[in-house]
Amino acid sequence: MADRPHLSDASAQARKASYRQETEFAPERFERFDAPRYQFEITRRELWQSLGAGILLTITLPLSAQEPDAARVTRSPRQELSTRFLFSQTDPIRVLTGKVEIGQGARTLLAQAAAEELRLPVSALQLVMGDTDICPDDGGTWASLTTPQTVPAMRQAAAFARELFLELATAKFGQSADALQFTHTGITSGTRQLTYFELAELAESAKHPADAALTPPAEWKTLGQSVPPIEGRAIVTGAKRYASDLKLPGMLHGLMVRGSHYNGKLATLRGEPKLPQNTRMVRDGDFLGVVAPSPELAHEAANSIRAIWRANALLPETRLHEEFMETAREPVAQPGARYPGLITRGDPLNAYWSSQRRLESKYSLAYIAHVPLETRAAIAEWKEGKVTIHYGCQAPFLVRQEVAEAMGIPETSVRILAHDSGSAFGGKQRGEIAVEVARLARDTGKPVKLTWNREEEFTASYVRPAGLLEVRSGADAEGRLRAWEFHNYNSGASGIACHYDIPHAWCGYHPARSPLRQGSYRSLAAVANTFAREMHMEEWAAILKQDPIAFRLRHIADERLREVLERGTAAFGWGRSVRMAGVAQGVACNLEKDARFALFMEIQVSGADVRLRRALMVFDAGAALNPDNLKNQIQGAVVQGIGGALFEKVDYADTRIRNARLSRYRVPRFEDVPDVEVLLIDRREVPAAGAGEAPITVVAPAIAAAIHRGTGHWVRELPLLPALARIVNPGPAAEPARR
Amino acid sequence: MARYELTINGKPHTVEAQPSKLLLDVLREDLDLTGTKYGCGEGQCGSCTVLVAGKARRSCLMSVSQVGQQPVETIEGLAEGDQLHPLQEAFLQKVAFQCGYCTPGMVMAAKGLLTENSSPTRDEVRKAMNNNICRCGTYGRIVDAILAVAEGGNRG
Repeated sequence: MADRPHLSDASAQARKASYRQETEFAPERFERFDAPRYQFEITRRELWQSLGAGILLTITLPLSAQEPDAARVTRSPRQELSTRFLFSQTDPIRVLTGKVEIGQGARTLLAQAAAEELRLPVSALQLVMGDTDICPDDGGTWASLTTPQTVPAMRQAAAFARELFLELATAKFGQSADALQFTHTGITSGTRQLTYFELAELAESAKHPADAALTPPAEWKTLGQSVPPIEGRAIVTGAKRYASDLKLPGMLHGLMVRGSHYNGKLATLRGEPKLPQNTRMVRDGDFLGVVAPSPELAHEAANSIRAIWRANALLPETRLHEEFMETAREPVAQPGARYPGLITRGDPLNAYWSSQRRLESKYSLAYIAHVPLETRAAIAEWKEGKVTIHYGCQAPFLVRQEVAEAMGIPETSVRILAHDSGSAFGGKQRGEIAVEVARLARDTGKPVKLTWNREEEFTASYVRPAGLLEVRSGADAEGRLRAWEFHNYNSGASGIACHYDIPHAWCGYHPARSPLRQGSYRSLAAVANTFAREMHMEEWAAILKQDPIAFRLRHIADERLREVLERGTAAFGWGRSVRMAGVAQGVACNLEKDARFALFMEIQVSGADVRLRRALMVFDAGAALNPDNLKNQIQGAVVQGIGGALFEKVDYADTRIRNARLSRYRVPRFEDVPDVEVLLIDRREVPAAGAGEAPITVVAPAIAAAIHRGTGHWVRELPLLPALARIVNPGPAAEPARR
Repeated sequence: MARYELTINGKPHTVEAQPSKLLLDVLREDLDLTGTKYGCGEGQCGSCTVLVAGKARRSCLMSVSQVGQQPVETIEGLAEGDQLHPLQEAFLQKVAFQCGYCTPGMVMAAKGLLTENSSPTRDEVRKAMNNNICRCGTYGRIVDAILAVAEGGNRG
């Protein structure tokens, strides 16, 4: 690294990024934006809007009351106007949220939040999620923000509704609030009842209460309980309908014609296709698809088209890191962003050069795919210039915007109905399929369904960024780190801050050019940044011949982070000798998205083969709002992390992604994973941190640390297994272990 | 097109389909039994697992013409009225799912497993279930659920 400019001297020699700026990093959207895939011919339509039946209770919340920790998040003015509840004469109370359910438990958790403050059981409420016509825009379902942002917003709105209704009922019944009861249908006083619908009618002209206190944690009846998933019974009986299961009357079936090249451009059609009866071809610029009365006919129609595609060869994988370095831009501070691209303290350059001992390391990670088990599916239906799209997406309001832009219509002419999704992991934030199905359906006058197959899921979506990380650091004579310099190329800024007590630090994210289209993934770049940070700490501990936990503790002031390490040390039996060949332990810890946690792993290495024997996660997310769901999320994140840590990698060459199917892209299976024990530290009085993502960050470094302790090899590259194989069996073209 | 007389969940169904049409597509498109899911189309993920003549099979690899007279059982056929099958009950109790998309295939594969081996060990369950993928990573809970039924001795 000595040949490159660093820190203060870096800006003077800023690289000349000559390529067109194709991507723009939008920090508050947790997403990279690229140019629209398709440019359609535009037709302007009339604005048309519909609203659900019933009374919407609109409650205006003061910003400070709505968000207890307002300084931490920026809320747009429109979010101040919180429209949360729909009351009707016949249905249960409907609770509205722009968040969606993708398996992370938001449906149950948000119902708990509303139920707690309304003094009702969860069963009295029905959640309406992700309908852009009636739900408030709570932001996309991403970045583990439902727990820290939407739960407090939901509770505050419910508390206001409760106080408002109590005031109205008190006045009507002439009774004190203590004598009133909340039931499924209304507020009762003895045999008299005011239904919620009646109360909502009265509330329209009433003065809103100035304040409404949240229920203190000590008095929680619903929050803090392991309320089982609301949809559980529908799931185990197969009755739950995902977007891919939907049928609408008169529905047609669409199919995209893409060719086999990655990001291929349509050059021309060879001859006139002989389309089967009642099918049609839709061609609009680079967009090519068919619509047919049945899926079989859609395939037949697609097969009748002879399209010629043009594609540029992808940059060879061997040149990827070079490309990142050559196209890297300097980090930008972005003050106020959730994931600032540059974080500095002290004078790291001087501290580094004046350190007694210095260490430099490089780490890297590959592109990986989300592989949601439910491939994308969507149905679009146009009526009077307005399109309604059913889609199991993560960010309905963002998808609405994307569709509106692509179709050249106002956002008010697009309604996204987000359906619970068969998992997403950051992969369903964008609206590719929504745009496609909207275009296919536009001139048909009927609903059209489009379902991506597994190959499309790999090739027509986006991947988790690959990355190159360079870390250099310096220690004093006592082995205490004093300088820390951390560069992330291409993969992202989240989790880049160094939470260890090192007085001089510089952490920067360099956006770079990527051959593959990339975007969000569970925890974003925190996987990359935590891998590099934790491995680097592990390397120091080895150099200084210190126990890795003791070494970390010397650099941690945060009491809660210390506690997860200390409790795990005892509970896991850290350092206990296991008299079996190749058995070793590893650990990694993190402070990510306000959660503190440590993962302890025991593995067995034999040659280039790694078997995971045991895992313990000690996790402190503040208050555990639904402890069993939290555990389930932690266990799932560890399992998912094992894939990216050990073997997942998108393989591409020439103009193609080469492993776009499950027989060639390996994901974790039953026999790959240990049982994951979870020890929760539940701090009722501490605001809950979101935890669907954070636990994935410590998996790779814990395993890599154990590999080093078991074999003496430092594997600084993800996925670990093929890299370990190259170390153990040096020679040309070592192939990754295949099952 | 040909005519097929299928027995699904104990009931007769007549389907007009191409002989090569996949059982998965017949179930989902023709019979609206959408509990059986598409995941990969190549027998890798197990989302489409159903029982054919009591054995766990991949409905994405089997054509309707191959089914013949053999009875087919899908997730929709497990519960009797409101009474869940013990495996469904166990998945519910252990919350052995997150998004739930793999669950029908998991439950059907588990039923096939317990038919062949009524008291499997933990490792045997892992091995037998290894061809079913849960992307949410609830494997440990699924093993717990299956073992709870195996040990309970009431496996329907």
